Amino acid sequence: MNRGWMNRRTLLASLLILVVIPATIVMGIVVMDDRKYYFISLLIILYTLIPFAMVFESRKPQARELIVIAVLAAIAVAGRSAFFMLPQFKPVLAIVIITGVSLGAEAGFLVGAVTGFVSNFFFGQGPWTPWQMFSFGIVGFLAGILFRIKWLRRSKLSLCIFGGLSAIVIYGGIMNFSSLSLFGSNSYTKESIIAIYISGFWFDLVHAIATVCFLFILARPMLEKLDRIKRKYGLIER
Amino acid sequence: MEIYHIKDLSFAFPEQEKKALDTLNLSINSGEFVTVVGRSGCGKSTLLRHLKSVLTPHGERSGAILYKGQPLNAADLRTQAADIGFVLQNPDNQIVTDKVWHELAFGLESLGLDQQTMRLRVAEMASFFGIQTWFHRNVAELSGGQKQLLNLASIMAMHPSVLILDEPTSQLDPIAAMEFLDTVQRINRELGTTVIMCEHRLEEVLPISDRLIVMDRGAIIADHTPRAAGEALRAAGHPMFASMPAPMRIHAAVTRQGTMDSQRPLTIKEGRQWLQDNMLQEAAEPMEQIVSTGKTANPNPVVVQFKDVWCKYEKHGADIIKDLSFEVRRGQFYCIVGGNGTGKSTTLSLLSGILKPNRGKVLVEGQQPSAMKVRDLFHNRLGVLPQNPQSLFVKKTVELDLYEVLSDVKLSSEEKKAKVDQVVAFAELESLLAMHPYDLSGGEQQRAALAKVLLLNPTILLLDEPTKGLDAFFKEKLGAFLHKLRSDGVTIIMVSHDIEFCAKYGEVCSMFFDGSMIASNETNTFFAGNHFYTTAANRMARHLWRDAVTTESVITRCLNSR
Amino acid sequence: MRRDSFAAYHPIVNFGYFVVVLAFSMIFMHPVFQGIALISAVTYSIVLNGIKAIRFNVLYMLPMLIILAAANPLFNHAGVTILFYMKDGNPVTLESILYGIASSCMLITVMVWFSCYNKVMTSDKFIYLFGRIIPALSLIFSMVLRFVPRFKQQIRVISVAQRSIGRDVTQGNVVHRARHGIRILSIMTTWAMENAIETADSMKARGYGLPGRTSFSLYRLDRRDQTMLITLAILIAAVLIGASAGENTIRYFPSIHMKDQSWLSAVVYTAYGLLCMLPAIISLVEELKWKFIISKT
Repeated sequence: MNRGWMNRRTLLASLLILVVIPATIVMGIVVMDDRKYYFISLLIILYTLIPFAMVFESRKPQARELIVIAVLAAIAVAGRSAFFMLPQFKPVLAIVIITGVSLGAEAGFLVGAVTGFVSNFFFGQGPWTPWQMFSFGIVGFLAGILFRIKWLRRSKLSLCIFGGLSAIVIYGGIMNFSSLSLFGSNSYTKESIIAIYISGFWFDLVHAIATVCFLFILARPMLEKLDRIKRKYGLIER
Repeated sequence: MEIYHIKDLSFAFPEQEKKALDTLNLSINSGEFVTVVGRSGCGKSTLLRHLKSVLTPHGERSGAILYKGQPLNAADLRTQAADIGFVLQNPDNQIVTDKVWHELAFGLESLGLDQQTMRLRVAEMASFFGIQTWFHRNVAELSGGQKQLLNLASIMAMHPSVLILDEPTSQLDPIAAMEFLDTVQRINRELGTTVIMCEHRLEEVLPISDRLIVMDRGAIIADHTPRAAGEALRAAGHPMFASMPAPMRIHAAVTRQGTMDSQRPLTIKEGRQWLQDNMLQEAAEPMEQIVSTGKTANPNPVVVQFKDVWCKYEKHGADIIKDLSFEVRRGQFYCIVGGNGTGKSTTLSLLSGILKPNRGKVLVEGQQPSAMKVRDLFHNRLGVLPQNPQSLFVKKTVELDLYEVLSDVKLSSEEKKAKVDQVVAFAELESLLAMHPYDLSGGEQQRAALAKVLLLNPTILLLDEPTKGLDAFFKEKLGAFLHKLRSDGVTIIMVSHDIEFCAKYGEVCSMFFDGSMIASNETNTFFAGNHFYTTAANRMARHLWRDAVTTESVITRCLNSR
Repeated sequence: MRRDSFAAYHPIVNFGYFVVVLAFSMIFMHPVFQGIALISAVTYSIVLNGIKAIRFNVLYMLPMLIILAAANPLFNHAGVTILFYMKDGNPVTLESILYGIASSCMLITVMVWFSCYNKVMTSDKFIYLFGRIIPALSLIFSMVLRFVPRFKQQIRVISVAQRSIGRDVTQGNVVHRARHGIRILSIMTTWAMENAIETADSMKARGYGLPGRTSFSLYRLDRRDQTMLITLAILIAAVLIGASAGENTIRYFPSIHMKDQSWLSAVVYTAYGLLCMLPAIISLVEELKWKFIISKT
């Protein structure tokens, strides 16, 4: 991995975390009278997308990198139509995880975020778009990071466990939180949090099962295919 | 002015002994229209890709390529991007963005032109190519021909001084291909752009080319005007001569020894003239009016039957198939020809049970395909070779892919091996077994896909445009395979635009128009009865011998009439 | 599709407008402002989508509004006006009921605005706006939009081809179908990846990657757009002045409190109403103009 590249993102990210995000929260509390959780959380989630976009853009990516990301994101979006007969059975998370493992954390994040954005372009944008972009993206990013530090392996078991957990804990966790933020500060009570998470649990469980199924069957052939493409394109692992 | 000068260019792909290009020497002048031909794998695409730095493949290279007198590598990438236009084979793969207008401007954006210049160039190109009416569309809505025109326009917007095209029409139907080639000719003639093109459709391309370069095994074996190059091939007895236009082949077979360049016919018009002048004047024997009964003397049982079939896709939509009736008997090679959108593919969908007729009956061996279980229909009965063989490949080697077909068939592993070995021998895949299916050439992919389908023991084989993108050599091979299958009693139903192929191998031909069958007959009679929709050889000679359909039969008639 | 007059304005106008009204709808919880925003959003969605929008609003948005409004008091027990106690001993307060209504109103307004946004902000406009700021990502966006219909088509082609060697996605039990579906996706992946190599070639052949890439646009910021931008700026400024004066704010807990109405309130309300109704007004005016022109000729 390129050191300077890593540092720039770290710098940007720290700037965001230490300065911009607190400033937004302060603005929310002081100027907007502490009631606009929905708006503030939306802003913060949008911020998190910025460093990824900026680093990617400033790197002047080559044609083949764009193509690989676009193809994977399009497969994730179009993949839903291959499962028209099984509603709620979506391959997005599995493909994002495979991308993170095979092509690195950045590609994982971008495929996730782009998929989130474009699929909503077909199904309708809404306030949930940035949340979905972030959740898909961060799962891909984590897959890449964990693979790099060897916590995650290319084995079916390892990927399936990560896939199942990330569907419930990360994706489900973030999306449920986003629905909670609707109700404002007084709703952050123990009961309401439990209620929201329980009501979302069954959806998350189906999502997790789908992700595990996809990873179980798809992981090995997909990783092989991506390896072949990396060789053919001459994409060097970053 | 000399645009390209190639000196002793040799090239080998990494880890390969054989040279893909072997000491090539070539000079191309500004404004020339050069056509490069050769079997697939002869190195013509590799040569074309050497003419633009960003597309040059990796490998061992020696020799020099000069562009406008300077080494090509010395020309910076910006100049090359604009100056050297490159159109690739597959219309779909080249399109990058989702909108026509954006695609047109793509190259201009890369060059960093300002808004005003881009607007003007985009407007100019849209007008020159007649794109205005679909300027705002999504590219997904375009036809194959429109897509390829868009690719060409997008490149022409950058004002290249040389246009390189690598088999641009191989994925197009004949009408779209003609339109595309006409446009290329217009660009060459009206703008003076140099054109260097690989192409299989020699019938259409040679008359508009200034020069024909023939390649074989990485070397140039002929480089002359089309007529002289053809003559050189004939004199050398080279197999590539078989893909030259029919008039040229007929003339060469009849006259034997060399004649003046200008006397050798190249187009149908010249061929007709030459026949008129040189053959005995006999008026075409009046053909008894051919009555399209659709009945042949074949005594075999009927295996496929359409009875008064009507079909539409939407409840209130137009009928796609209108009152279609025909039957195919065991062991026949049944060809279905006709333009786009006449209901040919719908007929195939009806046959394979994807669609159900709204009225009438479709019967495959006495049963309705749409009511059958998929396993019963496609195991030991119906085999379908899809238009794009790639849609069948699943595994990472050809061998694994073949075994994959049998994965849910109940057979012992020895029996499976015996079956695979047999089909491998039949389709001559021995040397390709370890390769990735996508690394095969178009013709090899076709064979591997055919082998896959044959593993399920079909007695009826449906082929959808099997010759699309194949060169003459692979077509002949495919023809031989189909012939072998027929002799084993397999019935073949083929949908094709390729008239020449149908005429050569088909037994019965039918023409579709507007959802039903307009004419159907035994192949020779069928083409003899058509005026326009018939083979080149027949169009050339039909004023003398109406039923001479293939090149070979015209040659025989010519020799006999001497 | 009906062509909407507001959608015909420059993308900056369209996008800026939606950003502002969405943000305002999320921030201003004042009942008058909420009412104005909700009514305007629904009106514009009907202008844009006709009968379909009415159906969407009544069938999905209305029930959602009621459910969300009802859910809040179950969790939220703040507020001083206690109406009654639930079985578990928690109080239901007037404030929390009103707050529930307000926040669900806000959500519905945002959703309806987004339904308008989806209609107006086409991919062309989005790519135009972001083509300069994030060129690579907006190109990826355009490429994905290009690939998705193509891949869907290819999925159909592959499933037909797979069917013809005896494997049907629509038959068999769930596990069977899922396996076939995944097989199709796998075939599609190979196909897509291998074919994309040529796409990369085509990009390189047309100079992608040269420094100084520009961005082509179909749009021109003409006088009409400038007038529109100025109008929007004035209205927004008026609303923001109102906000700084506390006109737009409401406090729900512990007890409901908002500023008393004054002449400034009336001005701010009018400005906000004009701002929110602007697209619908433009559409109506254009339609009347058109009818007038037609009747003259």
